[in-house]
Amino acid sequence: MENPAEKPDPNPSTPKIESEDEREELGDINGDEEEEEEYEEEDDGKPRTREDAIADRIKAESLFRRMRATPVAVRVHDVIVKGNEKTKDHVIEAEVDVVRQATTLQELLKASKVANFNLQALDIFDSVKITLDSGPPELPGTTNVVIDVVESKSPITGQIGTFTKAEARSSSLEGSLKYKNIFGYGDIWDGSLAYGCDHSAEVGLGMYLPRFRGRPTPFTSRVYLSTQDWLKFSSYKERALGLSLGLIASKYHELAYNIAWRNLIDPSQMASRSIRRQLGHNLVSALKYTFKFDQRNSSLRPTRGYSFISTSQIGGLAPDSRTLRFLRQEIDLRYAVPLGFYPAALNFGIAGGITFPWGSGYKSRASCVPERFFLGGNISPVCSLGGPSALWGFKTRGLGPNEPRREVQDDESGDTYERDFVGGDVAVTAFADLSFDFPLKWFRDRGIHGHVFACAGNMAELSENKYRNFTAPKLLETFRSSVGAGIVVPTSLFRMELNYCHILKKQEHDRAKSGFFMTFSTSS
Amino acid sequence: MEGDQETNVYTLVARKPSFDLPTACPNCLPAYIYLKLAQLPFELAFNSTFPDSDELPYFESDTYVAYNNEDGGVIEKLKKDGIVNLDSQLQSLSDYLSLKALIVSWLEEALTYEIWVGTEGISTSKIYYSDLPWVISKVLFYKQTYLAKNRLGITKENAEQREKQIYKRASEAYEALSTRLGEQKFLFEDRPSSLDAFLLSHILFIIQALPVTSVLRCKLLEHSNLVRYAEKLKSEFLEASSSSPSPPLHSFPSSFPRKSSKPKSKPKVEKTEEEKKFKKRARFFLAAQFLAVVIYVSVMGGGSSDELEYEDEDD
Repeated sequence: MENPAEKPDPNPSTPKIESEDEREELGDINGDEEEEEEYEEEDDGKPRTREDAIADRIKAESLFRRMRATPVAVRVHDVIVKGNEKTKDHVIEAEVDVVRQATTLQELLKASKVANFNLQALDIFDSVKITLDSGPPELPGTTNVVIDVVESKSPITGQIGTFTKAEARSSSLEGSLKYKNIFGYGDIWDGSLAYGCDHSAEVGLGMYLPRFRGRPTPFTSRVYLSTQDWLKFSSYKERALGLSLGLIASKYHELAYNIAWRNLIDPSQMASRSIRRQLGHNLVSALKYTFKFDQRNSSLRPTRGYSFISTSQIGGLAPDSRTLRFLRQEIDLRYAVPLGFYPAALNFGIAGGITFPWGSGYKSRASCVPERFFLGGNISPVCSLGGPSALWGFKTRGLGPNEPRREVQDDESGDTYERDFVGGDVAVTAFADLSFDFPLKWFRDRGIHGHVFACAGNMAELSENKYRNFTAPKLLETFRSSVGAGIVVPTSLFRMELNYCHILKKQEHDRAKSGFFMTFSTSS
Repeated sequence: MEGDQETNVYTLVARKPSFDLPTACPNCLPAYIYLKLAQLPFELAFNSTFPDSDELPYFESDTYVAYNNEDGGVIEKLKKDGIVNLDSQLQSLSDYLSLKALIVSWLEEALTYEIWVGTEGISTSKIYYSDLPWVISKVLFYKQTYLAKNRLGITKENAEQREKQIYKRASEAYEALSTRLGEQKFLFEDRPSSLDAFLLSHILFIIQALPVTSVLRCKLLEHSNLVRYAEKLKSEFLEASSSSPSPPLHSFPSSFPRKSSKPKSKPKVEKTEEEKKFKKRARFFLAAQFLAVVIYVSVMGGGSSDELEYEDEDD
């Protein structure tokens, strides 16, 4: 077998060749468009006569016929890696391990495509080329897989983007500098600065390893220093210095460990009683497991499919019993139904979460405020997959259990609120959203569409023995809800909504108003 | 929430007890003793996660809070706000102020020095860090030691000299107080005052919380009348049950007057309503401008966003 995959497709007019797909596959393996040149190079500069070209073509055609008819048996003899000066061989071979298992030519072509994708995903190469060469002549039916890589010349890259972080539960703008492949293990080091809409700032140093000690999933670690300013809503500021380790990160599962020194302070000295009691230092040592199953066709404008995400956290995993001990569980279920006319779709979602301390005296102990649930904010529930977080029409931390702040005799009321929202130990939200395109082509081309929505949510406290007063009818009675309609403008950075919300039901002290609101969301 | 307008429940939030003291922190103990001397019924709550805070101890009742870092301390604030004032007729006396200066400056300095430097912080783990994990407590210990040394003005060069000065002043203060007190029950006639609270707290802390090898403790034990004074007051006021029905020594209003108490804040420039509105509008205007530019660039230029998918690229 001679260079089957290198046969370019220079003769598409040949009617016998009906296997366009196969030819495109062959062309695709290399990922760029240099097959013709490479084919000529492989010929070692022999002068090409017309007869040679015809002979080669006939061989290729017969090969394609064979491939269409039956699986062509082939065995991978060797994987040769070229072009890597810094990167270790085993790093590249680990990504292309899948080609060794191929037993037929068709499987090999597919595996080569996957291997190419894996190598590109390492993000440390400028280009990746996989070619199938014939094996040693004494071993018929074998092939050598030759991998040509071109390592990135400039190992430092910078980027700015908007993200939605699961922990922050809101969108953030992040700028980062990445230093790639310092040690040749496919390692990516990055320093980043992030500023979030929820008044948070974070500076961090991270490291990403695609393979760590032979494990199949990448390993990430990150040292961070973050502050979150909740003075306006809950009269406290949170500062954390921590280390988070991403232990398992696969398509459905994610396991991370986080250890952080967290400090809650109140520079304004206006906090309410519950918040006052929580001020101080804490060591958080927590394991977080996330199961994510997202079959929706889009996370910014889902029109079909469903998704389910469950996040479980257990804190206090340390030999020292003085670390923060808590349990936290969140689930989020979404379902999108296409309606056929205009690309209209109905989106449903329901989310819930509960948190509780554990350890001695857990029933009467207060749950830690940063681990509680807070509803409200300027993100759209349609995009914020991950747990109960947003309700249209309600301001950031704008509903739920609240307490009066410290009294102060001050005549200037201004923007200052008199109550702290202390968060809930259990939260439930639900929403329904009907999205539809506008009839004008101008809007459709830009993805601008409209939507009509309704949402409802509620929270309650359970810790500090308040679970005794908790009843389901009471929770249902005090449910907050809103309806509205708006325009959705998707941009390359985020999804923006301009909505008119009407608050159907709210409780005393909730920060919610009927009117126009904007929300910004990034895909989570 | 405890208490409503009619029955105010008073709570003092202090650091945890240890060394057989109701609260082991030398900053919290005076406030506790002051309330006990005034025979004001109150509850004690603990905060054990904030050793480096100067807000503790704080006194609260419903939405009223008196922090220790405002208006000269909790005790001063309670006096000012009319909750409990043991010094109402004493402040005019000439030696009140000099004794107060002696106690709150020289004795307090000596105590701070002894806790953090003199005994190298042996007692601090039980006072401040009993509920914090080892890592955090170690870092905070170094931080607090450094701050204490700064406050006392101790540097490598003057350490010895400063130590001598502090101990000498403490000795002189004990001498003066011992002479002043004699065999009286309280410092001033027969009535307890805030100075008794400070002095009693100082003596009890040194005797019970500091190790036997402490230099300051030895100096204090030389004055037996001070020790007797402390023991007497301790058994009468601190070990008696806190819910005793005896009438308070001084009357205080049942609903305290709501005086204006501005929280401690960095100096802010008072803004007028108009300026605030203007600034708010300006911010909205800038945000709208920025948004318009972003939308124009991304919607007009790039079209709608697509997820990154691995697609077969056609040649």
